[in-house]
Amino acid sequence: MSAPVTTPEAGRQPTSGLRARIGELIFAGLSLALGVFALVGSFGIRVPESNRVGPTVFPVVVAVILMISAAAVLVGVLRGRFGSPEESEDVDLSHRPDWLTIAKLVGFLVAHLLLIELIGWAFAAAILFGGSAWALGAKRWWVALLVGLGMGLTVQIVFGELLGLSLPLGPALAWLAPLI
Amino acid sequence: MDNFNLLLEGFATALRPEYLVFAFLGVLIGTAVGVLPGIGPAMTVALLLPLTMTLDPSAAIITFAGIYYGGMYGGSTTSILLNTPGESASIVTAIEGNKMARMGRGAAALATAAIGSFVAGTIATLGLTLLAPTLAALAVQLGPADYVALIVIAFITVGALLGNSVWRGMVSLGIGLFIGLMGTDSLSGQQRYTLGVPQLADGVDVVLVAVGLFAVGEALYVASMLRTGKVDVIPLTKGWRSWMTKDDWKRSWKPWLRGTAIGFPIGTIPAGGADVATFLSYAAEKKLSKNKKQFGRGAIEGVAGPEAANNAAAAGVLVPLLTLGLPTTATAAIILSAFQSYGIQPGPQLFANQPALVWALIASLYIGNVILIVLNLPLVGIWVKLLQIPRPYLYAGILTFAAFGAYALNFAVADIVVLVIIGVAGYFMRRYGYPIAPLVIGLILGPMAEKRLRLALQLSQGDLTTLVTQPFAATAYAVLAVLIGVGLWLRRRQKRFEQRMAEELANAPEEVPDLNR
Repeated sequence: MSAPVTTPEAGRQPTSGLRARIGELIFAGLSLALGVFALVGSFGIRVPESNRVGPTVFPVVVAVILMISAAAVLVGVLRGRFGSPEESEDVDLSHRPDWLTIAKLVGFLVAHLLLIELIGWAFAAAILFGGSAWALGAKRWWVALLVGLGMGLTVQIVFGELLGLSLPLGPALAWLAPLI
Repeated sequence: MDNFNLLLEGFATALRPEYLVFAFLGVLIGTAVGVLPGIGPAMTVALLLPLTMTLDPSAAIITFAGIYYGGMYGGSTTSILLNTPGESASIVTAIEGNKMARMGRGAAALATAAIGSFVAGTIATLGLTLLAPTLAALAVQLGPADYVALIVIAFITVGALLGNSVWRGMVSLGIGLFIGLMGTDSLSGQQRYTLGVPQLADGVDVVLVAVGLFAVGEALYVASMLRTGKVDVIPLTKGWRSWMTKDDWKRSWKPWLRGTAIGFPIGTIPAGGADVATFLSYAAEKKLSKNKKQFGRGAIEGVAGPEAANNAAAAGVLVPLLTLGLPTTATAAIILSAFQSYGIQPGPQLFANQPALVWALIASLYIGNVILIVLNLPLVGIWVKLLQIPRPYLYAGILTFAAFGAYALNFAVADIVVLVIIGVAGYFMRRYGYPIAPLVIGLILGPMAEKRLRLALQLSQGDLTTLVTQPFAATAYAVLAVLIGVGLWLRRRQKRFEQRMAEELANAPEEVPDLNR
């Protein structure tokens, strides 16, 4: 099975279609909006009397950089100059982006941060690891969950208990605290 | 010879058994994480930074030096043995090294990369040792306007000259500068862009941004377009003992030295670090080689030179970082914030104020290099195993450790919220071709630039000409103009070169015997 050697140029699909274009426009538009927000926001910064060069000068410079460059990108995209998606070892650029997987991963991250203080760091980490592996296509979700649990408990004990990072133990492991 | 004594004292510190253990662990973990596919040096140092936070400053710095060198080297193993295109810093290594591996010469490719990295790393660290104290002594005399000039150079070269699109780079830089503005202004004590959220009053932590962009953003991006099918690792036929023949040595040693000579200076100037250096070295080797035809089909010179250049540039980057406090790559920006979190401020004062620490760091760079070569070849079997980690587990692990790193900063769940937001932004930046490095550089250098700018203008009573009339600053801007010109020219060349390379590879018939069975 000799796969053809792919070079950066090969395997890149021309970015076309309205959908890809709309996404790019939105991103460039948001950057432009950020520039405008930075400019407007700079008027709201209180300037103390004594300062000759106050805390608003640099924000205005930043706002101008953002607005000019975002506008330039926006014009470029409208003229058909699209950005080239980044390459990486595990990325197949001929695939269409899979939004569902991204949503699942972000969902598990949010679940993780909500659960840390409720059930303890190790278990929240197990859920994040197991859930993400499942979302990414791990065949047996329970193996992923067990691996995650093992990893979570190891980090919890080594970094939390032995090295003194204050990772919440959670109700299930609370009995560990007085032991170490 | 005072510096020599200080260096010896540095060695005395770094060679203490407990610190040797830390250096060893740093190199081991750094290489292991660096070898993992999809993880570049910047992500390696960002992900591993929290692990060092529980150590005392000397141990943390020594560990970190190991992680840095290990992470820089780890990527070459990936690109030689993994049958997919890698990240740009090691892409030229991938062209030749990958071909060599497919011809059953993977061990030779790995060996010339490892030994080349050692030679280049040692010579470049020597260069750092000689250059840094002198430069630091000179840098003490620089005024705020001169610093503004240096930072502007870093902004322009990293923002506009790296990546594919000048304007996208500038947008990325602008976003970084903006995030740097958020929080309390250090000079006037005013809050800026905090939206009344108390958690934002201290600003957004650089580590959080780096981990969010490099780890979460990358994981989401890869997840959205995950390469399916079996992981295609090229097997090493005879193990590492079959490494280099006499002929390989003869063909490698000159490229190692040339790569070092190209990589170190390029690393020291703010011109984009390793990417440019590896490309230039590859082009030079191709031009000078007697076996031009072999290039593109597994020429050992094409691995030896760029790998040496890569590691020499890694050491070169530390020169402006340590002496001026100026990071010129995303990785260096993360290292700077790591130092700051240990309470160390790199810059001209560092050599005067904390000589013991800085010389221990330099000594540990030499030691890290030795550990790197001692570890790398014998452990290659383990690295191959790492390449085969099922991708769902790999990226799940990256996400979990990213969340851990964010949480470990302040033990605040709010930090993970910021992490996720930045991660999603990082996803879209990758998707639409915005480079990540300018954002990180803007974030860390922005506040420094502002402070110096306001200081300069206060000294001059608001006269803007002060920024360009200082002799050093004026020279710096002139150099910048030249750099932009050369940079744009180089980039056009690189693009043409890549295109030609792609065509050549597409046209070349596969003469390589199939060894995957």
